[in-house]
Amino acid sequence: MLLEVRDLHVEFHTRDGVARAVNGVSYGVDAGETLAVLGESGSGKSVTAQAVMGILDVPPGRITGGEVVFQGRDLLKLKEDERRRVRGAEMAMIFQDALSSLNPVLSVGDQLGEMFTVHRGMSRKDARAKAIELMDRVRIPAARERVRQYPHQFSGGMRQRIMIAMALALEPALIIADEPTTALDVTVQAQVMELLAELQREYRMGLILITHDLGVVADVADRIAVMYAGRIVESAPVHDIYKAPAHPYTRGLLESIPRLDQKGQELYAIKGLPPNLMNIPPGCAFHPRCPLARDVCRTDEPPLYEVSSTRGSACHFWRECLDG
Amino acid sequence: MSDNLTLPAQQGSTGASTETLLKVEGLTKHFPIYGGFPIKRKVGAVQAVDNVDLTVGVGESVGLVGESGCGKSTTGRLITRLLEPTGGRIEYAGQDITHAKRRQLAPVRSEIQMIFQDPYSSLNPRQTVGTIIKSPMEVNGIDPAGGREKKVRELLELVGLNPEHYNRFPHEFSGGQRQRIGVARALALSPKLIVADEPVSALDVSIQAQVVNLLQKVQDELGIAFLFIAHDLAVVRHFSQRVAVMYLGKVVEVGDRDSIYNRPRHPYTHALLSAVPEVAMDDETENRERIRLYGDVPSPIMPPSGCRFRTRCWKAQDKCATDEPPLVQISGNRDGHLTACHFPEEPTTEARSEDVVLDPALKALEESAGKD
Repeated sequence: MLLEVRDLHVEFHTRDGVARAVNGVSYGVDAGETLAVLGESGSGKSVTAQAVMGILDVPPGRITGGEVVFQGRDLLKLKEDERRRVRGAEMAMIFQDALSSLNPVLSVGDQLGEMFTVHRGMSRKDARAKAIELMDRVRIPAARERVRQYPHQFSGGMRQRIMIAMALALEPALIIADEPTTALDVTVQAQVMELLAELQREYRMGLILITHDLGVVADVADRIAVMYAGRIVESAPVHDIYKAPAHPYTRGLLESIPRLDQKGQELYAIKGLPPNLMNIPPGCAFHPRCPLARDVCRTDEPPLYEVSSTRGSACHFWRECLDG
Repeated sequence: MSDNLTLPAQQGSTGASTETLLKVEGLTKHFPIYGGFPIKRKVGAVQAVDNVDLTVGVGESVGLVGESGCGKSTTGRLITRLLEPTGGRIEYAGQDITHAKRRQLAPVRSEIQMIFQDPYSSLNPRQTVGTIIKSPMEVNGIDPAGGREKKVRELLELVGLNPEHYNRFPHEFSGGQRQRIGVARALALSPKLIVADEPVSALDVSIQAQVVNLLQKVQDELGIAFLFIAHDLAVVRHFSQRVAVMYLGKVVEVGDRDSIYNRPRHPYTHALLSAVPEVAMDDETENRERIRLYGDVPSPIMPPSGCRFRTRCWKAQDKCATDEPPLVQISGNRDGHLTACHFPEEPTTEARSEDVVLDPALKALEESAGKD
């Protein structure tokens, strides 16, 4: 395993109380593997990634338990300056909003080159050459001329390519992409997603793809982990999950998206609202919204049951769900 | 949040009819750009909407799809007359409202309502839900039987909210519930046409389905016509009877839902459908055609000559740069399916023998992958 997150817990202390954003998340990624972390807003998918990356805002956030083992080391035990050497060089992150992630007053060449001057101690001239090479890599046309331009002079898709280039710069072993295509238009989204998948294959990196869009992950992910209220409720190879979900929440999500090959009928809607993280329901957090819920669901929190050797579901009645 | 509510008496007929409610011809909106020093002059224009024709029948739901910057929202705002058109004609129920004055518009305004994308910024945070939903009635001097407050409570129940929440403020509600408040406000005047501008795209997946179902219920049971503006093709297909596809300020293809989604002719419609990430529940979707365009939508300040899509089109020829293709019915298409293209594609979405990949980045990567 390249990265293994074990029983991670994260809390946020706010004026109104303690929000338990991540409650015992475990997942792993191998080199060359793509793990999609799927969840709605507030499910803890981004917070988990921030904790892995070491960019969680502390305070108000606080990691209260768990391990993040990356290439054999527990990152949570490292000192901040050791952590900083890992970040960027060995694991990198791509954010949703490229425009606000790039510095508007530095040219893209300077920002790309910074990776090399800071981490590799290169001269500015060499770093500039590297930046051009990277822009070619992500196929930005006329890289030699555009390297002097500023982020606002690029289109949305091109900016996201620059973000990808920046993440790739030091050839990290792991890339975490947090909603990398959500802000882009469909036709551009398809380009960027494919570029990312191809580059990942070329460099044999581990990729964690965080998204709320079930469609985006279907093509590129190897495995999917579905999160709800700060826990993983289902984890499975991508084909299994789409064929027969083993958790009622996953099933609900799949059925509630209108698909291109159907129309007109009433959509299946998961009733109710996602839970308040300051007051997560006891037992299974999904039980107030679940069609299969019974008494045991209100009292006992389901563990991640083993559905098969590669598959887990945190539902007491996963068998029933699997059978439809 | 009950789904089995009974609805008040229906107005008008249910479902689509052939009677035209809204007719838009040659609608154009150019936003001027000023520049220069010391005297600012008009130096150009963003051609947001250019010569758009569109009709919406009584009780019909029409989808308007396109990518950001294609002018779909501007079109919606022109129709509701939140913006002043530069040219063209908007006819509502036989009456020309293109440049109608405030006073002339007043009776029409109550019949055309709008639902906005962002339920966080479209509700006044200082007003209670009751006040928000009541104010359209106050402005228009409408006194429903039993009083306005009773009507508001009925509306709240209709959209699946608790009528007891009358005195709460918007911040006490979640995004999906706020959008329901927006729907209730739009329904307050019993409109005949609702322009819904990306009504669900700010919501989470599980909440999206709830709101889409609500809108569908409203549409079916109250017989309200919808202009449904969205970038999500699957939602539009789910909701609309007819669909218009826009690209860079122009309608490039319009037709029946099935005709557009199963038998598209315009290359852009093909590309758009192909780019939609599809949840593969089975292996059927493997058989979809694969088209990857290159680059982004060009600037509407200097749109390409002739066909605006030609710079990203794989079928473009010299003619496309000089002659703008008219929006016409191409042979082999059903009635009402109009396409603006000189060299239309085959009417199928099945996989082709060779993928269309225009992106040099992807092409290069694929070639290098093929060599290994």
